[in-house]
Amino acid sequence: MKCTIPGNNVKVFGRAVHALARISDELWFDPNEKGLALRSVNSSRSAYASVFFSCMFFQHYSRVTIQEPGQGDVQVHFKCKFAMKSILPVFRCLTILERNVEKCNIYTNFNSCRVDFQLFCKHGITKTHNLTFQDCEPLQVVFAKHLCPNVLKVQSRVLSDLMIHFPAYQVEITLAVSPLKVCFMSYVEEVTDSPKVMHTEVHLSPDEFDYFQVGVDSEVTFCLKELRGFLTFAEAVSTSISIHFGMSGKPIAFSIDDMVLEAYFVLATLADAESRASTQRVQAISQTATRLGLKTLFDTTEDDFNDLEKDTKETATCENGRQNENQILLRDISRPLLNKQRENFRVFSEEKTLLPKEGSSSTEEVVASSPRYDKFCSFFFGAVSANEDNFNQTLCSLATASDNEEEYFNNDQLSQTF
Amino acid sequence: MPFSTQSETGDDQYILVANLDNVRNLSNILKAIHFKDHATCFATKNGIKMTVENAKCMQANAFIQAGIFQEYTIKEDSVVFRINLTVLLDCLTMFGTSALPASSTALRMCYMGYGHPVTLFLEEGGVVTVCKIHTQEPEETLDFDFCSTNVINKIILQSEGLREAFAELDMTSEVLQITMSPDKPYFRLSTFGDAGSAHLDYPKDSDLMEAFHCSQTQTNRYKLSLLKPSTKALALSCKVSIRTDNRGFLSLQYMIRNEDGQICFVEYYCCPDENIDETEL
Repeated sequence: MKCTIPGNNVKVFGRAVHALARISDELWFDPNEKGLALRSVNSSRSAYASVFFSCMFFQHYSRVTIQEPGQGDVQVHFKCKFAMKSILPVFRCLTILERNVEKCNIYTNFNSCRVDFQLFCKHGITKTHNLTFQDCEPLQVVFAKHLCPNVLKVQSRVLSDLMIHFPAYQVEITLAVSPLKVCFMSYVEEVTDSPKVMHTEVHLSPDEFDYFQVGVDSEVTFCLKELRGFLTFAEAVSTSISIHFGMSGKPIAFSIDDMVLEAYFVLATLADAESRASTQRVQAISQTATRLGLKTLFDTTEDDFNDLEKDTKETATCENGRQNENQILLRDISRPLLNKQRENFRVFSEEKTLLPKEGSSSTEEVVASSPRYDKFCSFFFGAVSANEDNFNQTLCSLATASDNEEEYFNNDQLSQTF
Repeated sequence: MPFSTQSETGDDQYILVANLDNVRNLSNILKAIHFKDHATCFATKNGIKMTVENAKCMQANAFIQAGIFQEYTIKEDSVVFRINLTVLLDCLTMFGTSALPASSTALRMCYMGYGHPVTLFLEEGGVVTVCKIHTQEPEETLDFDFCSTNVINKIILQSEGLREAFAELDMTSEVLQITMSPDKPYFRLSTFGDAGSAHLDYPKDSDLMEAFHCSQTQTNRYKLSLLKPSTKALALSCKVSIRTDNRGFLSLQYMIRNEDGQICFVEYYCCPDENIDETEL
């Protein structure tokens, strides 16, 4: 990969890195022929973000070609992962970036297994950062936002003005929608019903939104930190953002669709009493499945996916549709596992569930004392495939591709050499 | 002069008396070398030099020439004592550090001689505080023998250009490598941290470059932990002169303009790190 970011876009790129840093301490660079995608997944798999910069964003953009004897230029499918703490210093001070940087070059140096970031600043100063990277398949969240019953579109300015009202210590906020109004409010856990806790509510009328579609009344609670990061980034682009969500417990997606870039942030929401039972089971299975290697996923054929699509379309409401989707997906994954592992699943889900199930009063206490983050559901992740032909082979591996490091060594792919 | 009325009260017994209308002209410059608790103070008729050392391979000197003081009397050729710099700074900034012109604190500093404390009279708005700080046995300071005739490379930069660089240094790197060369890359600062290496290049024709006199390519490494304190001096300065001699010793001279427009100097010396891995150059 070799690209040049013009001065006025370096700030946008820097802000994107900062926004992604709110998600996780790792950052994927995933260049493809259309542009460069930056991705980030948090360690508990409850938040995912990607920012895609199209070729137009860059002054110059090219993927690496390597001269192979006899075959001419060969495209290298290059993808890598950086530690956030190594890449953040490159774009550390955004005001300095904005003021000083005239051009930024990013290119891979295969000989030394490094990615070079070259910033050309005022006064002729050149800053070069040679960062080591890890060769690692990026992940992509498996979440069909187009099936969400609720879609809001709003200017980023409106949302960031609104978030100012929430104190810095506010961890989670709740978004409640009905066809008549939208409400953002601070989320306070029931147990800490101290009178000192400040409660903030901001109501918006549907007129504030550029697009307003509420298919189902819902209340979703999600982390504010990631959203704040997203909004500071959105401000740099100053565009409208779309919010897709459904019932509580289902992820909420914030996205920007611009001419030159696309941003997509997916955050887990707190599961409430009704939906938790099902989602927790889902999570339990997926986690157990992850432990078991998940090779079966790769056997999923295109037909399975078609069936799945049909099923989801047939269901009346999207909410049910997505549950179905999950279940079908799971059935595919866990078919060989279910019979053997059923006992395990039970135990697992009981540990994870905050809602005591019938006959599990003994585990109730343990559950109550566990941190509340357990209520957030992890997502499904799929590997980002290099080209569409490989789609079925690589999509939907629930396990993180990076977990199988051995596989990379075996495949003779690049690995980090320090 | 705020202290003129007190002058008659036995000034004879002091071997050193220095008056300053604005104490910040002294405290600011001492802050630039404040990275260790203790400093050695040398006073001659030219002025006062404060020296702070670290790890026997780094030395910082602050020069406050006699002209900075409104009154400066010394009765011996040289006066030397060691003093707790932290305590001295605490006393000097007792009335706060705000830079409002209306609220400047005046200082009268007196020293009676070996074994006596340093007496500070601080006056602001008619309130006088008297501080006595114990002096200690002076320790021998390092002689870097940094002679201008041995200087091989010398660069004068506007501090602004280096401030950002020092603020962004990768502190996971153990060393800062300085390359000075008559050819490309001219002047390069490099760090080698956990995440990889970073290089910062200044071309010799940059408008930040006030002077560029490099006769041969030199690459030396200095412990970053030793150089980091010099950031304090850099922050106050307007220009910095970077010199290396034939042994690779580094001299950083900071030109600091005080609130009254007078020029002071702070100087840092640092020994190079011996173990350069040739493969990484």
